[in-house]
Amino acid sequence: MRDRWAAAAYLFGALGTAVVTVLGAPLLAVPAQGRAWAERHRRRAGRLLGVAVPARPMTPPMTPPMTRARVGPALRRGLLWPVAHVGTALPSGLALVLCVGNIVTALVAMTAWWAFPADAPPHLQGDVPVDGWTVALTAAPAQAAVLLAVAWWGGPPLARAHARLCLALLAPTPAERLSERLSARVETLTRTRADALDAHAAELRRIERDLHDGVQARLVAVAVRLGVARESLAGAPEDVAVLVGDAHEGVEEAMAELRGVVRGVYPPILADRGLAGALAALAADSAVPTRLSVGRLDAVPAAVETVAYFAVTEALANIARHARATRAQVRVERAGDRLSILVADDGAGGADEARGTGLAGIRRRVAALDGTLRLTSPPGGPTALAVEVPCGS
Amino acid sequence: MRVVIAEDNVLLAGGLELLLAARGFEVAAVAREAPAFLDAVAEHRPDVTIVDVRLPPSYKDEGIRAALRARRLHAGLPVLVLSQYVEREYARELLSDGRGGIGYLLKDRVSRVAEFTGGLRRVAAGGTAMDPEVISQLLVRREDDALARLSPREHEVLALMAEGHDNAAIACRLRITGNAVHKHIGSVFAKLGLPPDAGGHRRVQAVLTYLDHRRGAGATTE
Repeated sequence: MRDRWAAAAYLFGALGTAVVTVLGAPLLAVPAQGRAWAERHRRRAGRLLGVAVPARPMTPPMTPPMTRARVGPALRRGLLWPVAHVGTALPSGLALVLCVGNIVTALVAMTAWWAFPADAPPHLQGDVPVDGWTVALTAAPAQAAVLLAVAWWGGPPLARAHARLCLALLAPTPAERLSERLSARVETLTRTRADALDAHAAELRRIERDLHDGVQARLVAVAVRLGVARESLAGAPEDVAVLVGDAHEGVEEAMAELRGVVRGVYPPILADRGLAGALAALAADSAVPTRLSVGRLDAVPAAVETVAYFAVTEALANIARHARATRAQVRVERAGDRLSILVADDGAGGADEARGTGLAGIRRRVAALDGTLRLTSPPGGPTALAVEVPCGS
Repeated sequence: MRVVIAEDNVLLAGGLELLLAARGFEVAAVAREAPAFLDAVAEHRPDVTIVDVRLPPSYKDEGIRAALRARRLHAGLPVLVLSQYVEREYARELLSDGRGGIGYLLKDRVSRVAEFTGGLRRVAAGGTAMDPEVISQLLVRREDDALARLSPREHEVLALMAEGHDNAAIACRLRITGNAVHKHIGSVFAKLGLPPDAGGHRRVQAVLTYLDHRRGAGATTE
């Protein structure tokens, strides 16, 4: 029962939109309008048929090169569909209107024929006047029943046929469907990458903190005890003194190595001061006078902070070593979900990435975070290193 | 000599207490966090303090801030800052009031007991004790600057001087005469364009100031 009402509502709606399509044809030639109008019909048709209709991608990734299809998607959707829509919805909608109208006429004639003036009785289809109870109780109900049956059984298939026609003519092309799948995939990957970045960030901080509070603290405690033992070994056998001395120096070396490891994983000053503070320290340490400007950063994942820090470290070191610059500039800011880092100097230029491994390492780390690194250094200068890294969302 | 310690790690705090007690220091208090440290300093008026950089609650640079605050509250309070790594930036901040009585050492150095207590006494006396790693970070510079004109021996002398050692200690370490040290220092100052100066911590100041000045424009954060 509900299906039939839905079909009736669909056909009446289609009749309405067919009329609007005819009247609004010039307006629908505007791509955005035409697209919205077509998408509306796809959704309506999908609802009636009970099929999911994913939205058509806004812009296809590429215009397909000379497809073999005789009718291109634009022509199919822009011209063929409106014509087919109007051509089918107008007659089927009007037929339904006629059906309903004549059922109402039959019912009125059946019950209230006597109220009409004698010289203008109500007429049934086939020009049959209803002017007595005999006709009113035979021909009128017969007409109502026949038309009701026609609408009852004929309406839903008609509505479904129209809906299928709409879906077929408005369907996205394979290229568009592919682009839709790809963009969904890109969206998923972007999200999971951001999640992975966050997890990685938490992990880096945890490792740094664990090493600091755990292994490093224990090594210090051991070293202090060995140091005290070493001092109080006067008079002990010499081999014992040598062993304790070796142990002490071994622990000291282990601490120095561990410090190096921690600096490479997550520089402690980042943990202490954040990216802005750590960069301020770098700029203050730079051998070339360096101007630092840091915009609003909000939350930057630790992995991104680390790469930014190493990139600036490397760039400033290169400037100090090779650029013969009198001043340098570091600018870090965030635009949307991207962190951009610019390190520039007024030096001699001609920097070559192939020389030395520092910048290549930075490039790899930047690429691993889906970022970009651009070095411009014409002979004669100036040199600029631009790094952009997405920060997730 | 009375000492107040700010160190949250029980192992290291215990080790320090033992070591200092055995060396004739009196540990008046061991604070676990910055506010307790400031209270202890006000209460015990120590001759020297030892502060860990990372303290609760956030385990960032609370120790540096606590040290700077204690020195603002108690002018000239000698502070020896300990850390598991050194940052030039922190050294600069600690030295910035130009008063001396500042030490900044890796925790590793505590195990070199004699050197550590020597440094502590130097700090207590208003001198400085800078970790060799801070100094080496400061001295590793581009080739074309003034430091490059120093001879290897002058480099060594400058580094030891910046750590806070006096001429006699430098002479002892390098196994040269005091006179030779004096000559090297004069030469270093001349090459760096600094007026000769006798005071221990002022010499570190001179090194840092020189490096700071040469950098020119500072950093701005917008």
